[in-house]
Amino acid sequence: MTQDVEMTEPQAAPLAAAASSNSASSATASSALQHLKEIAALIGNGAYAKEVRRIVRAVRLTMLLRRKLRAPAVAAFLTFALPPGSEAQSRLSSYLPKEDEHEMDVDMATSAGQVPFKNSLPELEIYCYLLVVIFLIDQKRYNEAKACSSASIARLKNMNRRTVDVLASRLYFYYSYSYELTNSLAEIRGPLLALHRMATLRRDELGQETLLNLLLRNYLHYNLYDQAEKLRSKAPRFEAHSNQQFCRYLFYLGKIRTIQLEYTDAKESLLQAARKAPAGAWGFRIQCNKWAVIVRLLLGEIPEKTVFMQKGMKKALTPYFELTNAVRIGDLELFRTVAEKFAGTFSSDRTNNLIVRLRHNVIRTGLRNISISYSRVSLSDIARKLRLDSDNPVADAESIVAKAIRDGAIDATIDHANGWMVSKETGDVYSTNEPQIAFNSRIAFCLNMHNDAVRALRFPPNSHKEKESAEKRRERQQQEQELAKHIEEDDDDEF
Amino acid sequence: MDPQLTEVTQLFGRFKASFIRNDFGTCTNLLSQLKVLLTKFPSLPPSFQQTPNAVEELTIARDIYEHAVVLSVKTEDQDAFERDFFQLKPYYTDTCGIILPSLQEYPILGLNLLRLLVQNRIAEFHTELELLPSSALENPCIKHAVELEQSFMEGAYNRVLSARQTVPHETYVYFMDLLAKTVRDEIAGCSEKAYDYLSINDAKKILMFSSDQELSEYITEEQPEWEIKDHCVFFQKAKESQPCKEIPSLQLINQTLSYARELERIV
Repeated sequence: MTQDVEMTEPQAAPLAAAASSNSASSATASSALQHLKEIAALIGNGAYAKEVRRIVRAVRLTMLLRRKLRAPAVAAFLTFALPPGSEAQSRLSSYLPKEDEHEMDVDMATSAGQVPFKNSLPELEIYCYLLVVIFLIDQKRYNEAKACSSASIARLKNMNRRTVDVLASRLYFYYSYSYELTNSLAEIRGPLLALHRMATLRRDELGQETLLNLLLRNYLHYNLYDQAEKLRSKAPRFEAHSNQQFCRYLFYLGKIRTIQLEYTDAKESLLQAARKAPAGAWGFRIQCNKWAVIVRLLLGEIPEKTVFMQKGMKKALTPYFELTNAVRIGDLELFRTVAEKFAGTFSSDRTNNLIVRLRHNVIRTGLRNISISYSRVSLSDIARKLRLDSDNPVADAESIVAKAIRDGAIDATIDHANGWMVSKETGDVYSTNEPQIAFNSRIAFCLNMHNDAVRALRFPPNSHKEKESAEKRRERQQQEQELAKHIEEDDDDEF
Repeated sequence: MDPQLTEVTQLFGRFKASFIRNDFGTCTNLLSQLKVLLTKFPSLPPSFQQTPNAVEELTIARDIYEHAVVLSVKTEDQDAFERDFFQLKPYYTDTCGIILPSLQEYPILGLNLLRLLVQNRIAEFHTELELLPSSALENPCIKHAVELEQSFMEGAYNRVLSARQTVPHETYVYFMDLLAKTVRDEIAGCSEKAYDYLSINDAKKILMFSSDQELSEYITEEQPEWEIKDHCVFFQKAKESQPCKEIPSLQLINQTLSYARELERIV
């Protein structure tokens, strides 16, 4: 990976100057083109050797190159990678703006000099689709991206190669993304379901993973929690292939469970998603944290202050911090003002309905504070302290206290005749078997964890052939370098 | 005009006539005929074919199912309500842009929310609630159900019961009556835990019974473990977390042995 970064860095400087002068722009174009050619070589190797790993690497390299992509470079790459006159080539080129004659000549010459992929690989064709879709999205030409990605999906349906799967799963993602950007996600629900079925039949697990997430996203976009949960619970599950997809899955799962009031499970999923997410994914982690804070509040927990003070998230989490404060104090009035003050944020986060649910927790916390402070307190005082504004506050307070007692939030009894709430003495826990049980469950957890870890240890299947494969790798790397150099030299010849 | 559409329209006219007369037997018969006829329209969900009559067909089908939902409330059939509501729902969610929104939409959605509340299906209640745009929450019918749920979760049962007087629609009364029953069970459950005992008069008031007779009937039927003594209702509370006198030796031995075994495996 470090090597990859080094490879692209020297080109960053020309990029800055690219906008102003023409010569600089053509220089960037050619260097981008050269990188694209390297990537193409990588894909070609991966496809011949049936090594998915290299294709993954090619995709990663493309993402690094993404900001440097310009129309001429992409167009030149298409003429290079795809057989001239083929359907894919003519279709993809039509999405790119026509450049002036001079540059065309250069491109033609470049492709004439190279004849590596005469009989085009399907991997390469799909890669070209992917590249053009990404390019179109970056250029904010969403409708064309939509058309292009739809065409690529149609093409993918007729391809059944495991080496295409990685590229396909990226394409699925951009396919859905382009529809989301044009706000027409509902249209592709059917196609996505069909693709998911196809991926399942082909045992394309990465594709299934991606498509399931896209479908969940699609449903949740329209708040269709019921459908999302039905699909999720019935879709086949297996060990995650991609960490990113797994994080997304956990986040969606957490959201569904929050809505369906399964707060304990929701909290687990959301926290796990926030922890597993890559450090760079700020937006995603902020979203996870927002939901996790609400779920913890709904569970009656108060999140620690450090949650809100995480670097880079402080500002985004401020509304939730103030909300937590209101719940912690148990002040209904403060809670109401905070909910009103940040109503805009909460509705854009679509957490409005959850905030409404929190009111009940504010009352509970307030009640718990009262029950701890007083050994005996009249119901009318409780009503006043909780600021219950209704026609009959004492009766309301009585039933609220009764429910809190039943739910185990407070330990007390009500004396109806006198209108008192009497808090019970907290008994000595250590005189019961409780500690013993808690101790046992913790030990069991640790032992289980250890056993799982032992079971999860994996050994490479052919570790005795280690030496040979290392040699092979060296050989291959050498070949790659030679190829890269070759391309470089060719390019130098052109100028 | 399409002959099938004419037939449905005529039949629906007869249905509405007997609906107004409160002749529910005839209504149910006509409704099943109507439902069979509706299956012949290709433009209805789930196929949504673009036929020339699509708009008329969708509108009348939605109207029929709306009536079916209200009818099921009037005949007090909750299962039929659920079935009819689910048949109606696609017309609300998936036909925007084809036909105009119905005036009955929010009353019926609110009715469904109330039904979920009565059946204590709170998770589904919230799932349905998420589907509504924020503007819908201002609608009196929806607001009514949402406020009920809040009071219900808080435990402010008085507010739930007083909401019966402010129902936004006559059809809501049926569910509000059912809700009173649910609320009583909840109150009984809470009282059991919160009070040691209650005088008969207080218990009667809290559980909303008008006579001692009703109270004692309720206790014998629903809460057999309660006891009536000296004009008071005693709740049998389970004595929890008593100080432990005995050491659960067998269990401890088993646990310790399993720790030893596991440690052996690790070292």
